Amino acid sequence: MRALWIVLRKELLDAFRDRRMMLVAFVVIPLAIPLVLAGTNALSARKQAQQLEGPLELPVIGVERAPNLVAWLQSHNVQVLPAPRDADAALRMQERDVVLRIDEKYGEDWRAGRPARVEVIFDSSRPLASGATVSRLGGLLDAYGSTVGTLRLVARGIHPAVANPLQVGTRDVATPEARFDLSQQILPYLLLLLAFIGGMQLAIDATAGERERQSLEPLLATPVARESIIGAKILATAAFSLLSIAVTLIAYRLVFAVVPARGMDASFDLAPAGLAQLFLVILPIVLLGATVLTALAAFARSYREAQAYLPLLMFLPMIPSLVLMVAPVRTQLWMLAVPFLGQNQMILRVLRSEGIRALEWVVSLGASFAVAAVVWFIAARLYHREQLATSS
Amino acid sequence: MIRVEGLRKSFRTRTGPVQAVDGVSFTAADGQITGLLGPNGAGKTTTLRMLYTLMSPDSGRVLVDGLDAAIEPTRVRGHLGVLPDARGIYKRLTARENIAYFGALQGLDDRLIAERIERLASALDMRDFIDRRAEGFSQGQRTKTAIARALVHAPRNVLLDEPTNGLDVMTTRSLRAFLLEQRAEGRCVLLSSHIMQEVARLCDRIVVIAHGRVVADGTPDELREATGCDSLEDAFVKAIGSDEGLFA
Repeated sequence: MRALWIVLRKELLDAFRDRRMMLVAFVVIPLAIPLVLAGTNALSARKQAQQLEGPLELPVIGVERAPNLVAWLQSHNVQVLPAPRDADAALRMQERDVVLRIDEKYGEDWRAGRPARVEVIFDSSRPLASGATVSRLGGLLDAYGSTVGTLRLVARGIHPAVANPLQVGTRDVATPEARFDLSQQILPYLLLLLAFIGGMQLAIDATAGERERQSLEPLLATPVARESIIGAKILATAAFSLLSIAVTLIAYRLVFAVVPARGMDASFDLAPAGLAQLFLVILPIVLLGATVLTALAAFARSYREAQAYLPLLMFLPMIPSLVLMVAPVRTQLWMLAVPFLGQNQMILRVLRSEGIRALEWVVSLGASFAVAAVVWFIAARLYHREQLATSS
Repeated sequence: MIRVEGLRKSFRTRTGPVQAVDGVSFTAADGQITGLLGPNGAGKTTTLRMLYTLMSPDSGRVLVDGLDAAIEPTRVRGHLGVLPDARGIYKRLTARENIAYFGALQGLDDRLIAERIERLASALDMRDFIDRRAEGFSQGQRTKTAIARALVHAPRNVLLDEPTNGLDVMTTRSLRAFLLEQRAEGRCVLLSSHIMQEVARLCDRIVVIAHGRVVADGTPDELREATGCDSLEDAFVKAIGSDEGLFA
């Protein structure tokens, strides 16, 4: 135990004197993450406000065929533009979000009392860019249609309610914090990624780097047990990334206190208790990352080889986020036992200010710590290989 | 005191197994400097690595102060001070911190470590760089730091793999004087070298290794006598069977 503490202290001292490593872990990352989140959030809020409240720019094909409709739209904050020569191309090139085409026989059908045809042309492969605009236009057209329909019924002496057998109301039960938000999808991934490979510099430096710089062999010639050496390196990695995460979370809170972006979700104004919960949720991932990185660096023959595995590791925490994005599922207890997937769910819970039960804490923390323990064991075994000190 | 009995070690390589050490036996006594002499690739480093338990032999036995390295590797390492072939030091630590780190790992307390560092720093002439960070150290400064760190716990047995490699004349001379001091203090000093002149000047006993085997073992006089040669140089060449790689 004493040797473990000595090695741990030395590894941290060594890391704290590495300026580049310190700069990345305690300045670049803590600033970059909140600023990127604040930026994207402000951007999407502005875009949303523009799409919902600003004048709707609408190119119309065949303006002259429906002067009343066009006038009504104009009176509802729609700015009617001349039609582009090729509407489909303009949409695909993203020059326009949506185009309205009024049918050639619109006037004829209208006068005959037949449903008159209008076409909303848009590109559904870009729901984020044009979705809000398209549904806004749809709402306007529905409103116009039902207004005219009501007038026609009244003109024939029929009560308008006859044509509306259903009255559909909606009530949203989401807490204010749980409203859909783009950054809310990114935050769990960023946190998990930071927890998982935040200590990579130190882990690779302390293991593969130590070997490459030829200081491992003298170290192994001391009476210290190899279990203590590898244990200390794992714990140093974990401690380093925990510190980096703590600084990041504090910076995150400060940035969101200073940047009062318009339309900012309440979810970003996490109370200290929420931050502490986030910290606890990702604790096992930090240890898992430290063991995986150390095992990998002990297995790799060189610094370069160890770094070559990194893209693979960056992909790992992304998988549950991707799965949940494509197929959102109800959280079940077993999911919390799966590393990354469980943490992803837990982070969302914390962000949404939903309560987490004691059993869920136990399952989430217990399962991930157990996996970390297994990898720790493998790392220690790798450190006993004879080639370890001599192969480089 | 170090006793080595019938050590063997082979490695698997792409072209097939290589017998790096093939039955090496010798004794390095206390109060003596013993030299392992042999051309590059003769098996010196592998033999030393088995002594400090970095590798385990396929067969044979290593006894350090009567302790069997296979049974009590941790205690054996405590009885040894090792300057391996790999002698990297931590660049972001000062020379003093490098040495103190190993002192702590050997179980010494802070006061004793400070005392030992004072002694080693003056013996190895390290005073002008002892508190500088190791980044940018010269080869000689690095080697001195590595030797001081290997000997901070004042081990009974001192193992040095090619200690004068890459050192200039002045540093080599001060290192030689330092090793003679170690001998005078009654320690068992075992060093490996491929440089005949160095071994001849420094060692009380010489073990000549070639192709993983001991081909000659004795004092310089005994070696001359056994080979019937007047000069040590001729004796070595005759023992090894060629003069390949013996002269620096």
